[in-house]
Amino acid sequence: MELLSSAWAYFINRQDLMFEVLKEHVTLVLWATFFTIIIGVPVGIAISRTEKLRNMILGSVSVLYTIPILALFGFLIPIMGIGSTPALIALIIYGLLPVIRNSCVGITQVHPMLKESAKGMGANNLQLLFRVEIPLAFPVIFAGIRTALVMNFSLATYAVFIGAGGMGRIIMQGIRTFNTGMMLAGILMVVITTVLLERMVGVIDNRIQKRYSLSD
Amino acid sequence: MTREISVELQKVSKLYGQDKVVDEVSFTVEKGEVFVMIGPSGCGKTTTLKMINQLIPHSSGNILVNGTDVAELDVVELRRSIGYVIQYIGLLPHLTIQENIAFVLKLTKHPKKMQKDRAEELIETVGLPLNYLNRYPRELSGGQQQRVGVARALAANPDILLMDEPFGAVDPLTREQLQNELLRLQESIQKTIVFVTHDMQEAFKVGNRIGILRQGKLVCLGTPMEIVKSDDEFVKNFIGQGALFEVFDTIPVTRVLQKDFPTARYDQKVDLQAEELEDWENVFIIDSDDSCKGYIPLSSLNSDGSYTADQIIPLPKASSPDISVKLAVQEMLWGGRTWLPIVDEKSGFKGIVQFRSCAGLVAGDRR
Repeated sequence: MELLSSAWAYFINRQDLMFEVLKEHVTLVLWATFFTIIIGVPVGIAISRTEKLRNMILGSVSVLYTIPILALFGFLIPIMGIGSTPALIALIIYGLLPVIRNSCVGITQVHPMLKESAKGMGANNLQLLFRVEIPLAFPVIFAGIRTALVMNFSLATYAVFIGAGGMGRIIMQGIRTFNTGMMLAGILMVVITTVLLERMVGVIDNRIQKRYSLSD
Repeated sequence: MTREISVELQKVSKLYGQDKVVDEVSFTVEKGEVFVMIGPSGCGKTTTLKMINQLIPHSSGNILVNGTDVAELDVVELRRSIGYVIQYIGLLPHLTIQENIAFVLKLTKHPKKMQKDRAEELIETVGLPLNYLNRYPRELSGGQQQRVGVARALAANPDILLMDEPFGAVDPLTREQLQNELLRLQESIQKTIVFVTHDMQEAFKVGNRIGILRQGKLVCLGTPMEIVKSDDEFVKNFIGQGALFEVFDTIPVTRVLQKDFPTARYDQKVDLQAEELEDWENVFIIDSDDSCKGYIPLSSLNSDGSYTADQIIPLPKASSPDISVKLAVQEMLWGGRTWLPIVDEKSGFKGIVQFRSCAGLVAGDRR
């Protein structure tokens, strides 16, 4: 109880800092997710067309995904130093796997008969992609984005190791200065915001799944 | 009179590697005709259909649509000019019924207002209520979805419709209903329809002409009656034993209806020498108000042609002139008679159908 109240006191006293790190954190995650989508969705769609490319790309993205984040930082720092750029790159790399995989799966699972009937009615390739394939794959693609977003949000806590700020700053500083109140405030903030985000995106996801539910 | 030709295939083949799935198929489809392709699975009927709108490119031969070789046409434009109907699962599940019907119009960037008007018009054409336009395909039954599929194919008002087993996924009762609706619709829209099915009964019912495919080859081509009479063993086996009856189902009874039949005025003697009695077993007694009182078998008349009132047998239950020959024959079999009176609800007694003339439909041109 004492710990909690000290954490609360820290939170109240340093509201400005709290908002600052939250802002850093959210900014980093949103940019990372943005780029993940921009890169991942087109790549996922592209590899849905050819099986050879699909195995190659999914294979290499899976390998990247298994690298621990600290090791990845160790790899990125010699190339681009510290700051938000390498942090952003790291997060993008982690987010790519679910987004690429889901985009690819979403597109390939569109019933061939639907594609053929759209083609038979005179849809050209672009119309087929944007009016049939992407809308029908959207629930699956969105599920991938959801995974990437929530994962990036929690991974971004490590960004402090590479000097990119975020909520990890409070925790790290708390540990370094033996300030348990500060440390706990940081931990609670990370946990609570992550859970909130997960819930929020979950609600949106449920709506999308319902809206697009294709059961006969 | 030369009839316009809508679709023509000239020695069209399709090869997959070494496999010839369609082998030099040639046929023409006249404007306004329903041409049915049928055959066992893997015979190449669907492949042939899809080559017409180039969903599958052909390997050799020529395909002409309204006189133009499809090789010279842009495939997207070609497909937009031809209606395409497949089983109901072909509706796009993320679009409303209205968006589904107007899909082609949307692809061709027609104004929204026009898309809506056309969808409203077509949903009525296929007999569904207007408020279905805002629903999604999954909220409709299979038969209803299939009707939407037909409406969708008509959206851009194409001259030609390609239908690939359109009623294959619905229950038999709904299928029959949809077939009837298609026939009724076809009477007013007069499209050229190329129709693929594996159901012989359906082929006889909807087809003006039928082509039977086997291993990529067109083995038999003709009207339902010509098909039934084919001597080809494969065709005979394929169409099955009941085929003739199914063809009879497509022929209106009016084609074998005899309006001249032997009559006698009530209270007059029957002239036994009259030529019109030949080939008849009964004479029909007409009352003074021109209605038919009943009939008397010739065998029970007195030798001078006279009879008494109690000899007159009342007419059996009459049938309407809208029925098919098949139904007429069925009625005769039920009643244990070789003839059937046909009576129109409004205009009264139409005539008599004899079993002999039904039988003559087939044997007639065989002799």
